[in-house]
Amino acid sequence: MKTLIVDDERLARKELNSILAEFTEIEVIGEAVNADDAYEKINQLNPDLIFLDIQMPGKTGFELLESLEKVPKVIFTTAYDQFALKAFDYNALDYLLKPIDSERLANAIAKLKEEKPGTINQEVQQPHKLMPSDQVFVKDGEKCWFVKLENIRLFESDGNYIKVYFETFRPMIHKSLNALDEKLDDRSFFRASRKHIINLGWVDTIEPWFNGGLMVQLKGGERVEVSRRQASRFKEKMSL
Amino acid sequence: MSKIKIYWLCQIGGWSLFGFANIFTYYIQRNTLDHTDILGELLQIIFYIGSTHFLRHLIKKGNWVTISPLKLIPMALLADLVLGLANYLFLLALFFVFGALIPTVELKSINIFLGILGPTTMYFLWSLLYFSFHYFYQYNQSLKYEAVINEIELQHLKTQLNPHFIFNALNSIRGLVDENPAKSKSAITHLSNILRNSLLMDKKKFIDFEEEMAIVKDYLELESIRYEERLRVSYDISQQTKGIKVPPMMMQTLVENGIKHGISHLKEGGEIKIYAGINHNQLVINIRNSGQYVNGKKPEGGYGLINTQKRLELIYGNSAQMTIANESDKMVLTEIKIPIQVEKPPAQNLPKTG
Repeated sequence: MKTLIVDDERLARKELNSILAEFTEIEVIGEAVNADDAYEKINQLNPDLIFLDIQMPGKTGFELLESLEKVPKVIFTTAYDQFALKAFDYNALDYLLKPIDSERLANAIAKLKEEKPGTINQEVQQPHKLMPSDQVFVKDGEKCWFVKLENIRLFESDGNYIKVYFETFRPMIHKSLNALDEKLDDRSFFRASRKHIINLGWVDTIEPWFNGGLMVQLKGGERVEVSRRQASRFKEKMSL
Repeated sequence: MSKIKIYWLCQIGGWSLFGFANIFTYYIQRNTLDHTDILGELLQIIFYIGSTHFLRHLIKKGNWVTISPLKLIPMALLADLVLGLANYLFLLALFFVFGALIPTVELKSINIFLGILGPTTMYFLWSLLYFSFHYFYQYNQSLKYEAVINEIELQHLKTQLNPHFIFNALNSIRGLVDENPAKSKSAITHLSNILRNSLLMDKKKFIDFEEEMAIVKDYLELESIRYEERLRVSYDISQQTKGIKVPPMMMQTLVENGIKHGISHLKEGGEIKIYAGINHNQLVINIRNSGQYVNGKKPEGGYGLINTQKRLELIYGNSAQMTIANESDKMVLTEIKIPIQVEKPPAQNLPKTG
């Protein structure tokens, strides 16, 4: 697993590096000294996993995740910020307390390996596109989630924000729907209208609607209108 | 001594004294005493004790001490007058029983007036003493209460070591063990010094300035291991500061604050400069750290400062000051001025509390 270590303290990075040496499945491909450095290295090296310190000069670890389009697997490392990680109650999320206990580290790595295969580099990559198995980081007020794109049913634009529908949550992220649309893989996501992007995998029923449009019901119960302009393209996609 | 004991001691002692004084006056005036004088006086004292005890009962039952003075004074005066009248009637009855009642003399209006005024005055004095004692006692209690509260608050404000710091330090030391065993050994010593001090400090109100400086140095040594070239420290400490008493861990808190909210946010790191000296009979401590102070904007940034300010206020009242401000666009200056104390500080004279 290609791994990046993100921590502002040299000794902390060194320490983690030396513990990780025991784990043959982990290949440390780089180190970053702050969030900006990490942002560049993540985009450049495309790691599968990052070890992420929370408190760093400049941006925090959370802010780094928010700025990323596609988020690798994350294991937080922290001296005493386990409280901040309470925000992740909804996700199985791993963190390690510094000084790091190598047994706990082994567990965390084992847990990553257990996750269904195919998550790591098995699809035909389209450059700069987000795959269904990619995860994104969503933060809404005090709560945060790592969400796999395949679990997101619907993106709905709401002013300068996008409402993200998954499970029973619909947090808002600060992004434009157009920018997001460009990043999403159009084999799985479809721009239904000016306001909506739907996940084709979650479509339940389709019925004809006024003016030659369509009404799509998603498996989560949401009803989304597909505009007349998009309707034929939609039919084409669904018939495939 | 309990309140009720004091009460009975004053009641019996006070009225007995009054009785003896009366008898003594009779004796001086008439040079002779008979048993009716003594018996009469005795009964009189018993009546006084009984009637004032009854008044106390009324005061307690009606919770008079909570009534505003404006209402209480007429009420108390009226009660005193009624008791004075009762006392006068009791005396008349007593004279009658002893066969000593001389209606032509006793029933003269001037004598009736004086006969009522005398005991009323006594009751008035009694009420005055009773309420004075009560208010004094209450005031004393509230002072004691305040002292206890201050003590508790001070304990609370005494800064505990930041766990973040401890674990980060341990982590750095762990990383240092292979690289530089000698340095990691000394780091462990610094850390144990700090831990020991912070455990002992709970019991102390003041320590010598140089002891506090030693803690600060241990602390900064450890942070230097963690931040490496990102933390640069310099000291300018006047020899005159030796032996001056300061509240423990106060400087450490402020230095830690400077690192936490200043240096740690800067990618390139920065400086901590510490100055201490004497000026106008005050100990002046300046802590400069790279960064910018944003007033009130960071709620999580305020606790160390607010606690320190409260601590100073509780210990020194108005005679200590703390200020924090941006000295330039790159440097924050935290300044403390505290009165010089070499001997026992005044705060230690507060009532001791269990």
